[in-house]
Amino acid sequence: MGDLTRLVVRNLARRKLRTILTIASLVVAFFLLCTLRSLVTSLQAGADSAIASRLIVQSAVSLFVDLPQAYQPKIEAVAGIEQVSKWQWFGGYYQEPRNRFAQFAVEPRETLEIYPEMEIVEGSAEAFFKNRRGILIGDGLVEQFGWKLGDTVPILPELFPHPSGPGTAWEFEVAAIYHPTQRNFDPKMMLFHWDYFEKTLEEGPVGAPGVGTFVVRLTPNADPTQVMATIDALFENGPQRVQSTSESEFQRQFVTMFGNVPFFVSTIGGGVLIAILLAVVNAMLMAGREQTHDIGILKALGFSDGDVFRVLIQQSLCVCVIGGALGIGLAKLSEPSIGLQVISLIQGYRVTPSTMWFGAALAVGLGLFAGAAPAWRAARLQTIEALASKD
Amino acid sequence: MQFIPLSYNLRSLLVRRGPTALTVLGIAATVATVAGVLALQQGFRALYAETGRPDLAVLLRPGATAEGVSSFTREGAQRLIKSTPEFAEGADGQPLAGMECFLAVRRARVEGGETNVPLRGVQPSTFALRGDEIRITEGRNLTPGADEVIVGRAITGRIKNCTLGDVLTINVTPFQVVGIFECDGPFESEIWGDFERMLAALGRFGPNRVVAKLRPGVDVKALDARLAASREVAATVKTERDYLSSQTEFLSKILRLLGSFLGVVMGIAAVFTATNTMMSAIGARTYEIGILSATGFRAFPIFVSFLFEAILLGLLGGIVGALLVLPLNGLKTGTTNFQTFTEVAFAFKITPTVLLTAIVFSLILGVLGGTLPAWRAARMRPTEALRRQ
Repeated sequence: MGDLTRLVVRNLARRKLRTILTIASLVVAFFLLCTLRSLVTSLQAGADSAIASRLIVQSAVSLFVDLPQAYQPKIEAVAGIEQVSKWQWFGGYYQEPRNRFAQFAVEPRETLEIYPEMEIVEGSAEAFFKNRRGILIGDGLVEQFGWKLGDTVPILPELFPHPSGPGTAWEFEVAAIYHPTQRNFDPKMMLFHWDYFEKTLEEGPVGAPGVGTFVVRLTPNADPTQVMATIDALFENGPQRVQSTSESEFQRQFVTMFGNVPFFVSTIGGGVLIAILLAVVNAMLMAGREQTHDIGILKALGFSDGDVFRVLIQQSLCVCVIGGALGIGLAKLSEPSIGLQVISLIQGYRVTPSTMWFGAALAVGLGLFAGAAPAWRAARLQTIEALASKD
Repeated sequence: MQFIPLSYNLRSLLVRRGPTALTVLGIAATVATVAGVLALQQGFRALYAETGRPDLAVLLRPGATAEGVSSFTREGAQRLIKSTPEFAEGADGQPLAGMECFLAVRRARVEGGETNVPLRGVQPSTFALRGDEIRITEGRNLTPGADEVIVGRAITGRIKNCTLGDVLTINVTPFQVVGIFECDGPFESEIWGDFERMLAALGRFGPNRVVAKLRPGVDVKALDARLAASREVAATVKTERDYLSSQTEFLSKILRLLGSFLGVVMGIAAVFTATNTMMSAIGARTYEIGILSATGFRAFPIFVSFLFEAILLGLLGGIVGALLVLPLNGLKTGTTNFQTFTEVAFAFKITPTVLLTAIVFSLILGVLGGTLPAWRAARMRPTEALRRQ
């Protein structure tokens, strides 16, 4: 058996160019398959980072509808709630419309208490609390725009025009920088003072802003389902109906908005798989045909049909497993750089072990399938016929 | 210089049917995948860019890039409509213009989950502006001032409570679905109701945008500059066509990027397959190549001949790939347009651009895959090649 294994290697080495090209196509294909699958699983895993003791209260009508500030004391009065903090999506951009990221007006103290996932790595929470125009930004933004502590950051508003007139930017000052301790937590958020937000708007024609979402922290032994039902019932008859959800459900809602994207990606994956399958089958059939004469010799020497079958199927397996492993490895290696590319859409891009096993199983399956036809043909060849072949 | 007849290559491909078919199908799968993504982008772009009217002006608040983030006060919008001489007049002598309110509302999908559906409050003048663009195909149009809505054909089967006769609750107000409409543009994925009733149901006070018919020959850029600097009510102006095109940039860019990325990566694999096949073809035909050079064919014609064979392989793959994506034409699908944050339904569109890209792409694959084997064939020495029997 050891000799036959050497024969497998020798056969593969005989046509070096073909073996290398086939392996290279496999690397490319498996890299693509694993990356595509990881995009889908990471998209769906976004919800996993959520903490069960946090609830989100938002308008039941639309993502773009605000809730009255007057709702806050009513929600706080619900049993089982420890803390309520108001958030508003600011929806501006830095310099150009393509530089968009999440900006929120928040209550600084409460927010840092409710979100322990933000670890302050530069500046301090105190500095953020004290500076009225101060902002807390993620290290992802530092990386993207090169901002540092003390920098003035002008943000052009789309939803909340500055009272000084059209085209005026809101100016903020970097007071602290956080690093997310959780993988799926957005490293590109900018948080600023609700008071600054509200006081500035009150100088203009729009007046005091509404609340985008209330973030609720439950007491340790509260029943989330019960609390959610109570909050929803409070505003059943308006003026704005609310929908309270667990944090994971809130994030899942954003995922379902991607609609058919997972389906598109799977279809593309199917196309990749068919292309690579045909390529490998083709290469293996060619190899099998060229080895006809050798197979005759093997059989004449007394090797069984089973041995011959194994030699050919092992060649195919060997190529597919090497190519597959390299492709999967490449997908894993490129995880940080791809993760950075897609971070605005998908946080926490990860090539999971399940994807790697999926790739490995696919590689073995492909190897068996592509090797089957030539191996079957070889096993059934008559010794005389095979020896007579000129290949 | 004497060239090898093309029929030689055609026959060779026929003789090696198995490898030829596998290679052609492999290239076809690659071409079809790339062409499919491109067809998606074309369909999405066509829905917006080709249906927007150049004779309609869309007015937004300065700084707003989409209607969802734009807003006017009611008085401001009314003043804009009355005091802009560039707007055409209707039969009644009034400016042909309408206020619209817009909100992406959360609705449940029929198949589960939630999505954002555009909800538009329109005035009677909106229908006058649109003419036969909006075609009611079931039921009737909404009555001004009534709690009634009409629903675009594209979402009737996809979103709950959106078939004729259903009751659709917006915040706390129930609306009756009285009609289903068709439209070639993105409106077909929307719910339309009466402007005043929608404002009341949503607890809002003013419109998001104003749409007006322009008098012939109006310079939109000049109008935009004048209104943007206006002290009374500032606004930015675009033609509807430009406005809709601007709403597709982001998703279009993503799809084009995805298409090119797949093209390059899958293309590499396809090139390797073509190279493998051609190397094997040349290996099996070494003796023939010996005869060719012995009978006086120079290296260059041999190179051209084998390169042509590879290009032929690629072209066949391209044709099969293009045929594979043809049935996608008109197939409806939907996704979220991240610029408006709403779901739009659109169809794959196989345009000449898609087909041309598929064919050119396959030819490139053939050339890249065939160069190395053809060069090897051309370099063979006749004496050695003839000895290989």
